[in-house]
Amino acid sequence: MQPRHVLDGFRVLDFTQYLAGPSASRLLVEMGAEVIKVEIAPGGDPTRLLPYRKNERSCYYVQQNRGKKGLCLDLRDARGRELLERLVATSDVLLENFSPGVIARLGFGWERVRELNPQIVMCSISGFGQDGPLAELQGIDIVAQAYAGVTDLIGEEDGPPALPLLSFGDVNTGVHAVAAINAALLNRTRTGKGQWLDISLLDCYYHCHEINVHAVSASGGALAPKRSGAHHYAVCPLGIFKGSRRWFMLMGSLHFWAPLCRVMEREDLIEHPDFATNEGRCARRGEVVALIEGWLQAQNDDDGVLARLQEARIPCAPVLTVAETIAHPHFRQRRTVRTIHDRHIGDFDIPGMPLRFSDYPEITELEAPLLGEHNAEILAGIGVAAEEIAALTQAGVLVGGDR
Amino acid sequence: MAKQPILDGYRILDFTQYLAGPSATRLMAEMGAEIIKVEMAPYGDPSRAFPYRKHKRSAYYVQQNRGKKSLCLDLKDERSQAVVRELIRECDVLIENYAPGVIGRLGFGWEQVRELNPKLVMCSISAFGQTGPLSHLSGFDYIAQAYAGVTSVIGEPDRPPSLPMLAIGDVTTGVHAACALGFALLDVHRTGVGQHLDISLLDCYFHQHEVNVQAYSASGGKIVPRRAGSHHYAVAPTGIFRGPEGYIMILALLHQWPVLCKAMGREDLIKDERFKTNELRVANLQELIELIEGWLQRFPTDAAAIEALQAVRVPVAPILTVPQAIAHPHHRARGTVRTVSDRMLGEFDMPGMPLRFSAHPDLPELQAPFLGEHNGEILTGLLGYDAAAVAELERAGVLVSAAH
Repeated sequence: MQPRHVLDGFRVLDFTQYLAGPSASRLLVEMGAEVIKVEIAPGGDPTRLLPYRKNERSCYYVQQNRGKKGLCLDLRDARGRELLERLVATSDVLLENFSPGVIARLGFGWERVRELNPQIVMCSISGFGQDGPLAELQGIDIVAQAYAGVTDLIGEEDGPPALPLLSFGDVNTGVHAVAAINAALLNRTRTGKGQWLDISLLDCYYHCHEINVHAVSASGGALAPKRSGAHHYAVCPLGIFKGSRRWFMLMGSLHFWAPLCRVMEREDLIEHPDFATNEGRCARRGEVVALIEGWLQAQNDDDGVLARLQEARIPCAPVLTVAETIAHPHFRQRRTVRTIHDRHIGDFDIPGMPLRFSDYPEITELEAPLLGEHNAEILAGIGVAAEEIAALTQAGVLVGGDR
Repeated sequence: MAKQPILDGYRILDFTQYLAGPSATRLMAEMGAEIIKVEMAPYGDPSRAFPYRKHKRSAYYVQQNRGKKSLCLDLKDERSQAVVRELIRECDVLIENYAPGVIGRLGFGWEQVRELNPKLVMCSISAFGQTGPLSHLSGFDYIAQAYAGVTSVIGEPDRPPSLPMLAIGDVTTGVHAACALGFALLDVHRTGVGQHLDISLLDCYFHQHEVNVQAYSASGGKIVPRRAGSHHYAVAPTGIFRGPEGYIMILALLHQWPVLCKAMGREDLIKDERFKTNELRVANLQELIELIEGWLQRFPTDAAAIEALQAVRVPVAPILTVPQAIAHPHHRARGTVRTVSDRMLGEFDMPGMPLRFSAHPDLPELQAPFLGEHNGEILTGLLGYDAAAVAELERAGVLVSAAH
């Protein structure tokens, strides 16, 4: 039978909650893996309560957990732990994002897990890693962002740093975790053995410094990256410019300066001694910004200006609001944004699947589980008798809910 | 027996330049794959000219290209095309980040390469994807960021949006690509055939909206994500507060709010009508900020305030500068930052390998290649050209190399 997607037949035992870990298992589901989401009784993943909610169902939870199977049980109960041990033995991947040390205290540290299943790949996701002086801190996106030297580089030069209103770090950490899980699975085809992965928010944020770390270090501190509001501190023009109504992202540096001058009908500036070099333009940033904004606003036609700049191959973009992205034809055509359906919320939009495979179409029919929705199915699958499932449910070891 | 690196034995033909593509193959090089970086004669990857440079060597290029082999050739010459066709037969992966259509015009589009090697996995990285109305646009990190609705939610509400001073999008796109490539390779084990991957900066940026898209859409437009400076627009207190010396990141989510009140010695605030719920705290944010900042000023140092909050497990962090992050003992202890040595530049620091494997240590001895450094090794060792043929191609300018 033709596999449904690249991970068809792989089973993932997923102890993660909140965002970074669930982002990883969300991608694994979208690639066809069977993900058993273990939720802690009685409430399950705390994100089930996060806004926006409708009919007691959280869109946040749904976005991160479509297609997963819900198993909700009491982890402190020996019977619950015994069931999980049997699931560990039949899974390819174990994923967790508790604080370092917690999973071992629950009885599923790496040494125990590898005894139960030598082929399993275990991935631990944390804020600051499994070791080091900061390992005990809570793993929260913007806390790691601040420690990574990232927050300091965002915002107005003369004010406090600004908080980016999306969780780059958590989602990106999930993607890093999936990349590492994949390499370990690929390696397992050769060695037959699993291994333990240690992925942290701090490492993944820090990994995104494409220039800053080496620039400070190799220059002996002569180069000092700093936040500088809407414009780059060392490249000009590069930044955000006001058009007649909307903001534009525009890059007119390097070999784009000459075509930009031509579009603005200011050929005189191409070789002008004050403006011909990046250094010269950085020294007169205020003048350059005023010149470009003056021209943009004088056209009084933001759409026309954008078309002319793009026609001249000058990197330029409207700064779209989230609402505008959702309605944009490019996003719709490529399913960068897509409409999904939830049983209780109805239709709404979420970001698309960013990994696109020519041989496997997107799996569209994924539902986020109700609390403990798949308790019986999962346990029957590992040979637990129906009477025992009923008894465990009666005893409160297994828990279910209607959302 | 010395342990084989995790991707030992995989060979990648790498047509990428600048940042997003090279980030993907950098990760694969760090996992032990053999990367043949195809650089265009005469200058190679344009990032070789990027600052910071010393001895004609770019630290930017070095950071992204350690452990790769450089093959520099004139791709317009038919003899180079023959070399590339032979290499495609010997490789597991072809990766490229030209504008859509360019690789096809060079003769190495997906339909062409799959005929040469049915097991080959091809990955195309672009700004806006291989299809769709924007696919023709030239692509840089910030341009896709603006289109993704990301830029609009960063900065002060009454000022222009702010430009984050790092290329989160390019690097994360590289990670997405490495991730997809690996799964396609895993699939080759089962199906015996490769496939084509279409990874874009726009998709990868947009993928990071964990709240904004669903909240706007499901609320029917009632929740409008917007930039709000140093504080979150819908959760309070969550943001950046003025400490006795600098700025401090503090979050007190639902259950942490009473803990913060107690830490401030203000248990009365827990029941205060202005702050009882998250909605009320958002509505009275200015008063809340003044209270918290006033309390912070009582500490002699930022570190003392941070320690007091960490002691009661309220999430808090210093806003480290890049030099402070480089020097931090945790970052050093874990290798989040590491010192590398380049033959021309000497020693300097760069971010560590973020993927950590229990069974495979990091590969510390990686060098970024000089331009065309491995021309001879690849043509003679891998493709069986004799030395005279390689010398002839060098004389004809089809193969190019430089000592930096």
